[in-house]
Amino acid sequence: MAGPADAAAPSPTPSRLRRRRLLALTFLGGAALVALSPLLSGVSIPSTTVFRILANGLSFGGLYPSPCDAGVSATQCSAWVRIIWQSTVPTILLALLAGAALGLSGATLQGTFRNPLADPYLLGLSSGGTLGAAILFVFNVGLAQANVALPLFAFFGAIATGGLILLSARYLGGSVETLLLVGVALANLLSAILSVILLFNPTGSAQVSFWLLGGLGGATWGRDGIVLGGLLLATGPLLLLGRELNVLQLGSDVAQSLGVDARRIRTRLLLLASVATAVAVAFTGIIGFVGLISPHVVRRVWGPDYRAVLPGSALVGATFLLAAHDLSGLVVPDVVLPVGLFTAFAGAPFFFFLLLRHRRGAFMGEGL
Amino acid sequence: MRLGGRSVLHRVSLRAEPGELVALAGPNGSGKTTLIRAALGLVPIESGGVELFGAPTAELTARERARRVAWVPQEEAPRDNVALREYVLYGRYPHLAPFGGETAEDRALADRALADVGLSDRAHEGIRTLSGGERQRLLLGRALAQGSSLLLLDEPTAHLDIGHQLDILERVQRLVRERRVCAVAALHDLNLAARYADRLAVLSRGRLVADGPPGEVLDAALLREVWGVEAVLKRDPHSGQPYLLPRRTLDAARLARPLPGGRGPVHVVGGGGAASPLLRRLVDDGWTVTTGALPLLDSDTETADELGVPFVAEIPFATLSDDVRERHRRLLDAAALVVVAPFAVGPTNLANLEDLMGRPARGPVILVDDGGIARRDFTGGRASALWSRLEAEGAERVRDVEAAIRRLGELLSRSA
Amino acid sequence: MSLSAPSSSVPKAPRTIPVALFAVALLLVAGAAIAVTAAYFELRSPSTPPGAITITDDVGRTVAVPPNPHRVVVLAPSTMDSMVRLGLRDRVVGIDCGTTLSGGISQDYNDSQVSAWGLTNSMCVETAPSVNLPQLLNASPELVLASTIVSIADVEEMSVTYSIPVVMLQPSTLGGIAVDVTLLGEIFGVGPAASTLVGQLQAVLGTAQQLVTNLSFTGAPLPTLLLTYYASPDGSPAPGYWTYGPGTFGRSLIEFVGAASIAASSALPYFEMSGSQVLSAQPWAVIYGVGFGVTLATYQQGPEWSSLTAVQDGRAWGIDSNLLTEPDPTMVLSGLPVLLALLHPDVYPPR
Repeated sequence: MAGPADAAAPSPTPSRLRRRRLLALTFLGGAALVALSPLLSGVSIPSTTVFRILANGLSFGGLYPSPCDAGVSATQCSAWVRIIWQSTVPTILLALLAGAALGLSGATLQGTFRNPLADPYLLGLSSGGTLGAAILFVFNVGLAQANVALPLFAFFGAIATGGLILLSARYLGGSVETLLLVGVALANLLSAILSVILLFNPTGSAQVSFWLLGGLGGATWGRDGIVLGGLLLATGPLLLLGRELNVLQLGSDVAQSLGVDARRIRTRLLLLASVATAVAVAFTGIIGFVGLISPHVVRRVWGPDYRAVLPGSALVGATFLLAAHDLSGLVVPDVVLPVGLFTAFAGAPFFFFLLLRHRRGAFMGEGL
Repeated sequence: MRLGGRSVLHRVSLRAEPGELVALAGPNGSGKTTLIRAALGLVPIESGGVELFGAPTAELTARERARRVAWVPQEEAPRDNVALREYVLYGRYPHLAPFGGETAEDRALADRALADVGLSDRAHEGIRTLSGGERQRLLLGRALAQGSSLLLLDEPTAHLDIGHQLDILERVQRLVRERRVCAVAALHDLNLAARYADRLAVLSRGRLVADGPPGEVLDAALLREVWGVEAVLKRDPHSGQPYLLPRRTLDAARLARPLPGGRGPVHVVGGGGAASPLLRRLVDDGWTVTTGALPLLDSDTETADELGVPFVAEIPFATLSDDVRERHRRLLDAAALVVVAPFAVGPTNLANLEDLMGRPARGPVILVDDGGIARRDFTGGRASALWSRLEAEGAERVRDVEAAIRRLGELLSRSA
Repeated sequence: MSLSAPSSSVPKAPRTIPVALFAVALLLVAGAAIAVTAAYFELRSPSTPPGAITITDDVGRTVAVPPNPHRVVVLAPSTMDSMVRLGLRDRVVGIDCGTTLSGGISQDYNDSQVSAWGLTNSMCVETAPSVNLPQLLNASPELVLASTIVSIADVEEMSVTYSIPVVMLQPSTLGGIAVDVTLLGEIFGVGPAASTLVGQLQAVLGTAQQLVTNLSFTGAPLPTLLLTYYASPDGSPAPGYWTYGPGTFGRSLIEFVGAASIAASSALPYFEMSGSQVLSAQPWAVIYGVGFGVTLATYQQGPEWSSLTAVQDGRAWGIDSNLLTEPDPTMVLSGLPVLLALLHPDVYPPR
């Protein structure tokens, strides 16, 4: 019911002008970030050289055929070119793509479960991926296949978890509460199994620990292509389900009465969110907070319309993860902190900030 | 429009005309909500089926169904502070093309619906700024925007204050007539139902037991049978519809203590208002009461009529006729106990005392004497004499109503 | 009653193309661009350099190695030892190290190694938590020599994604050290130097073996030994002494020095023995490794340390930890004799 608190509630949908301004700001910020990120290669390359190398590549050799300064050896120059184009740029792309996937997945899950705290990590999708990876470490797949097998195991781990949640919906009732509980229970169960595996295989634990922290290492063009493919697979349908997500917010019964088959739509949404998460987790390990924070930011700026929140969360997620990645390389000189650690460090205080600004009713998404 | 369902609901079939508001009434568990939810496809049907407009709903997709039936739920707890205009626009969802957005026509319909419920001036505010009554109007607006021929309202007045209750029902009534749609509203408040609905359909234990204009449907027997309530029905001169004053539940009546001997009521002799406190008290305590012989237009007669106490009456200011006396005597014979109120005795009703002669020998007689019969004797001493004779025959004298009740209780326990 | 058919809405063309469709189109275009680039980079098969030799490394992988490589990244101090002894120091352009904060190269190499081998931080290639690819690429290596501390994923990345051949060297016995030296000689074309070094190794190993055989003839039981390279102090969640299990070079070392490891029945290659386990075994001697911040005090804080008879009787000896933890020629040429002298003073060195 209305009360004095609601009189102070912010206007539901911020003005068009404000939205456009913030959108422009995000785009500009994101573009600047993308433009400046290559400077953080992990190896000191002069900035002008970096941009010349980029220009050379983007113009397919047309511009700046010799991008390095005079005093640099040919070996060193080709090493730098290689670093930029085969390590740095794919890593930036992976950050953008994985961030988008996580942001999108988080927004979808928050909408599907009508819970502002839902995110891929909470529901065990990330844990499933890690377990998949851990199983691979335990059974020691031959070295020749590890490159392919690792992401594959992680991917199917995450998908399997999503599938389990959906399967339980058929037998335990598909209400939102049931799905949430099953997800949380699964997350805990998978963590426990993981711990047991690590207990008996200490050699694998270092590698799994790396996974748990999340990282953008090992980014290659091929992997980026796969992530993009998975993202497209999930994004296309998801972006078109924005309206249904809006109606779903009214409650399962009301949605049904308005013509939205709640169960079917929820199944689809969960499946798509699982794919998006899985494809990110497969290559990055567990990176938390991206999926949780991005939708909140977008909702605050754009209002609760999921037709905007979904693509917006993808954009914000991409920018957030790239920013976190860049910062993780900057904060401590010469040390690249695992990016998952960094999103947590950056994300947690941000979350508190959001809460403080909306003390009354903030948790229930009022104005968020 | 016909609704049919089975299992929890047994072959319930409702018909409504466009422009009609049908109130669906019934006690808790009678199936009102089930019926509505079944029509909306929210309840899995184990056996039987649901038909809307003569066509089985099982074959309809959610969208098609949403185009035919709109729902106004009891309440909604929105998470986000959605603008009112957008909220009503959600009602257009069943009509939107798969990949298209809302068209200008959709927006116009939504705006019109918002205007119909009187919230246009707040179109850009958020839903969380609305009061409960306003929110109910908004839900009505969304249902109207759906553009369906049938509106189903599930207890729309449940969480509203009286002002908003009247407001929402007035709107529904008006809009239903303006837009030529039908509405079926589950209402628990029978007075509101009688006042606003064109027809009243009553469900009891999953069966439709009554269907028709409220004036015809609502009667004491129905109330007793379906709701287990003893009520007095009056007619509202303003609306021409009945309204009811519930008295007590039948369970309470059934708890009425058995009388000495286990049969027979308490008969109260009185008149001129003297019997009224006794009558009220006895009825409240659950006794079965009769009274007489009273002149019509007497305040005791009004009380008896109000309480539903059977009585014997004479035309005002007339001496008690033989016919009336005979009927009174029959009541006296049927009674297990007699309580005599301190009524003013005059020549017209002296027969009431005369007919009591000999009664104490057949059963307890209690005389309620607050100040002495002398003050009430307008028969030149004959009433006092009869009074004393009654005492001599074994009638008990108590001081007031309370004492009489206590004495009755003692007599009851003694006989148990 | 007019049973109006449900209002059939003729879907009118929406006024604006939904943002969603536009975004999808954008993603498709971007996707095509990335897919093309990805295909270009990933589907080129790594060209085998002319004159490449095929070798089998210590974990069984078949690797095509470029002939006579001059830019090598060595990701294990044990391999570095061999490289220096074979005169190949100038071919090493990158070495393993910790992060700058944790000391860079001094996390993996002690001061004498740094100065003796002329190591600088500019050669740094971080290996934890995973191999730092930009640093690796910056060194433009033709070949990477790694131990199994480098993860499978990293090895795959280097060899498959970046087409840099990786040879894994991880001897599990002291004899394996000699095998690795031979392998290095083959790869770098320094056969004679390798043979010389192998000969030196085999001399020491042979002496040790002979000694063990002699001891067995006497029928005296082999002294029990705790060979530990780290202790978790009493009071920590898991106090104990870290030692070697079966199948490791550490176990091989113990066997070669003519001792019986008290960790005989363990299942794991590297594990921690609890205080009570060590106490019940009461080894005749304790050999502990010091260096890189680990000192005698570290072990004195271990559980039951003062209750061990070896400690009480003065048979607990500390040696440079590199001699215990790096399976390289130095372990054989320097470490083995020291240990033999400590454990069998009456028969070693032979008169």
